[in-house]
Amino acid sequence: MGDIAWHRKDLLSIYDLESEEISLILDTAEEFKKVSERNVKKVPALRGKTVVNFFVEPSTRTRMSFELAEHRLSADIVNIAADSSSLRKGETLLDTVRNIEALQIDLIVIRHSAPGAPMLIAKNISCGVLNAGDGAHAHPTQALLDLFTIREKKGRLRGLKVTIIGDILHSRVARSNIWGLLKLGAEVTLAGPSTLVPRDFEKIGVRVCHDLRSAIEDADVVNLLRIQHERQRAGFFPSVNEYARFFGLNETTEKYLKPDALVMHPGPINRGVELASTVADGPRSVILEQVTNGLAVRMAVLFLVAGCMNK
Amino acid sequence: MSDNSEILLVGGRVIDPFCKMDMVMDIGIANGVITEPGKLKKPKKIKLHGKVIAPGFIDMHVHLREPGNTAAETIRSGTMAAAAGGFTSIVAMPNTMPPADTPGTVEYVRRHAESEGVVRVFPCGCMSKGLEGKEMAALGSLKRAGVVALSDDGRCIQNHELMRHVVEYAASFGLPILDHCEDESFKANGVMHEGKWSVLLGMAGQAAASEELIVARDIILSRQTGGKIHIQHISSLASIEQVRQARAQGINITAEATPHHLALTDECVKRFDANHKMNPPLRSEEDRQSIIAGLADGTITVIATDHAPHTTTSKLVEFDYAPFGVVGLETAVPVCLHHLYHTGVLSLSELIAKFTVGPAEILGFEDRALAIGNPADLTVLDIDDEFTVDATTFKSLSRNTPFDGMSFRGRAVATIVAGRIVHSLLPGSAR
Amino acid sequence: MPEKVKLCNNFEIKAAINEIAHSIVAEFHGKTPAKEFALIGIHRQGVPLAQRLISSIEQHSGKCPELAQLDISMYRDDIGMRNSLPIIHETNIPFDVNDMAVILVDDVLSSGRTIRAALDAITDYGRPKLIRLAVLVDRGNREFPIRADYAGIDLTVAQDSKVMVEFGQSENDSSIYVTDWDKA
Repeated sequence: MGDIAWHRKDLLSIYDLESEEISLILDTAEEFKKVSERNVKKVPALRGKTVVNFFVEPSTRTRMSFELAEHRLSADIVNIAADSSSLRKGETLLDTVRNIEALQIDLIVIRHSAPGAPMLIAKNISCGVLNAGDGAHAHPTQALLDLFTIREKKGRLRGLKVTIIGDILHSRVARSNIWGLLKLGAEVTLAGPSTLVPRDFEKIGVRVCHDLRSAIEDADVVNLLRIQHERQRAGFFPSVNEYARFFGLNETTEKYLKPDALVMHPGPINRGVELASTVADGPRSVILEQVTNGLAVRMAVLFLVAGCMNK
Repeated sequence: MSDNSEILLVGGRVIDPFCKMDMVMDIGIANGVITEPGKLKKPKKIKLHGKVIAPGFIDMHVHLREPGNTAAETIRSGTMAAAAGGFTSIVAMPNTMPPADTPGTVEYVRRHAESEGVVRVFPCGCMSKGLEGKEMAALGSLKRAGVVALSDDGRCIQNHELMRHVVEYAASFGLPILDHCEDESFKANGVMHEGKWSVLLGMAGQAAASEELIVARDIILSRQTGGKIHIQHISSLASIEQVRQARAQGINITAEATPHHLALTDECVKRFDANHKMNPPLRSEEDRQSIIAGLADGTITVIATDHAPHTTTSKLVEFDYAPFGVVGLETAVPVCLHHLYHTGVLSLSELIAKFTVGPAEILGFEDRALAIGNPADLTVLDIDDEFTVDATTFKSLSRNTPFDGMSFRGRAVATIVAGRIVHSLLPGSAR
Repeated sequence: MPEKVKLCNNFEIKAAINEIAHSIVAEFHGKTPAKEFALIGIHRQGVPLAQRLISSIEQHSGKCPELAQLDISMYRDDIGMRNSLPIIHETNIPFDVNDMAVILVDDVLSSGRTIRAALDAITDYGRPKLIRLAVLVDRGNREFPIRADYAGIDLTVAQDSKVMVEFGQSENDSSIYVTDWDKA
């Protein structure tokens, strides 16, 4: 019949997914995007389901996006932040989630600073688990919304040249994007200071580059990552100013871009560091559309995962 | 510990690398020592046709956790695990709570090992007080209390001058140094090997350079002082290359490899199972191959388990927060037979030497050959017995093994300590 | 291959479609301007059926009502109870449903659950003046208090069998089968 069985109760990383599964999520998200454009911005798909947003690491944007997606699917929602959870009282992560599960909840959306924490949970409980970011490991919904945005704007992903610039070493956004882009046939270039862009990435077929101009001049998409000041303190690069001088996208360096190149950023932007305001707010920027699409992608993922929970 | 009953081991293939022997012969045991079969009166006969009889295996790197963490392991359970794995002697690392930096703690371990242990336990003492790497422990008094070696295992003395003094002073008491080599300034909260997989997984890496720098230091100090330094759980290609060159120059350096480092690589971490978290970490395939090459060419003379029990609760947490270490006593022999003997890397005699001659030479054990009058410590192997590891059957109190569910060919089927059968899978033996 | 038994051929189906079109024209033609009534096909087979109905209506009346397509996956009441999720197909309602006379079109009416979901979906797009239901086959077996306003063919089949309508590429290619539910 052509009905692809989505058979995962969890969404843990892009690395786990087949390219057909990624495409299915993106196709499904297209329909959910329309829901948010209607007058009645809500469907009953997850009516009666309870979703727990369990954020062991603070987050504003991702949590709001997930929360809104859950509301628009008519789910019941509980938010637990690290401060208010019993994790501080010495309880293990598994004990905490088993207690949550005992309240008959259906899905856990988890953000955690330790890589692999969502996998640990998914392996040990029966409700569905969505990874909303685990350390520097994975951030699958961010990658999916980036893929969605590129596909929507460019009509395809296969053969596109996508450059990701910044602190790749510590970036879950970069890792999930790399796997998603490679699986869907795009060519990936990573750029940034050599201390933050390890050459080991070349082993999976990615170009590593430490010169901004050669990294972006034939790119169809440039995705800039937020640069954290704490990396400077840890000795990865000498100063934020020097970073901006060599790897920032600004009025001067924007001239290297192709006219139709897309400029993306997962937010929040350090204006004037990795990205100048003129570029962030300029015609190539699709940064706000990424935010809009994040909602649709998260609705799609919640819908697909919820459909597989009782199996 | 010795047993008065007489035993005759019949028909086994006796392989003793101490005296370069490999032949089918009977071995007699009486009063806990090896005896001429003809002198036995009414021995209990044990048929060992098709089995291999070796001198008792020695594991010179075991954490018994007692005193301090008896939920993870006790002297009783740890020595039972050793027996089940084919080991007749183990060296107990001193990083207990309190650490074995005083004669009192060493006494405690010895006394409990004598009353509760099922294999021989040789205590190792601390190099520095409280394992803090600041002041030298009372090495002479520790020697008098019975330690056979010195180690700050788990930690590494960062102050090179203190280390030089420890090496010099220990040498005057004839104590070997067992060094955990790690430059702590390199650590940066690493939880796995720094390389392709740490980069792909977004995990903090531990650079091989941190081991290699301290190995270099130890070689320099050994050359300068003449002291005996043994590199524990060597894990990186460049470390092994340094040891190879140092040994060629006649420097008093030895090294051990663990079964997990020679069998597994950092790729295993992608499952985020903390039973693949240990220090030093599982390294790259290139490093793993260099360990195998080092064992083959004699650069690495010892296989030791670094048996590090941790409770299931403490390991079933986020990978970042789990403690380092895996148990090894009950899987070491199968893993090594599988990866070193059945693959043709080592002969059976060479493999047995890594568990016997290698550690005995470093520790100064001189009565380990299968010779008349020596203590009857023997390990019996069935080199073709295929089985699957089931951690729930471990004698150890802990189950933190990366080998659970994996199948291997060959294992220890009987362990005899001072003439007493402390472990047996042979037909007719009670399990 | 499931054991399929053909119940109706293209000729019979075309006749049924014409009959439905005729009834629709009789109710709406002259009373409601073409711009104010529209057909909404429910995925999957309701969409090609609605297309055929529209061309038949055009032949009868010379007027061509608008066509929309609706996917009701987000409105189902059995999420998490089925073995696999259907793919969500495109929903495209190119007109304002407010104050519109809307005819929902589906191939087979059985339990009524799909229509319940479709009613919820449509009302989330606005407040139609009225909603009618047209189906090619009414096979009975109702679980909800829902009936068709226009039904082309009434069938009586065993409860555990599935009625399938297949529309081919051309207007002259269609058939109705019955098969065991578990083989479908």
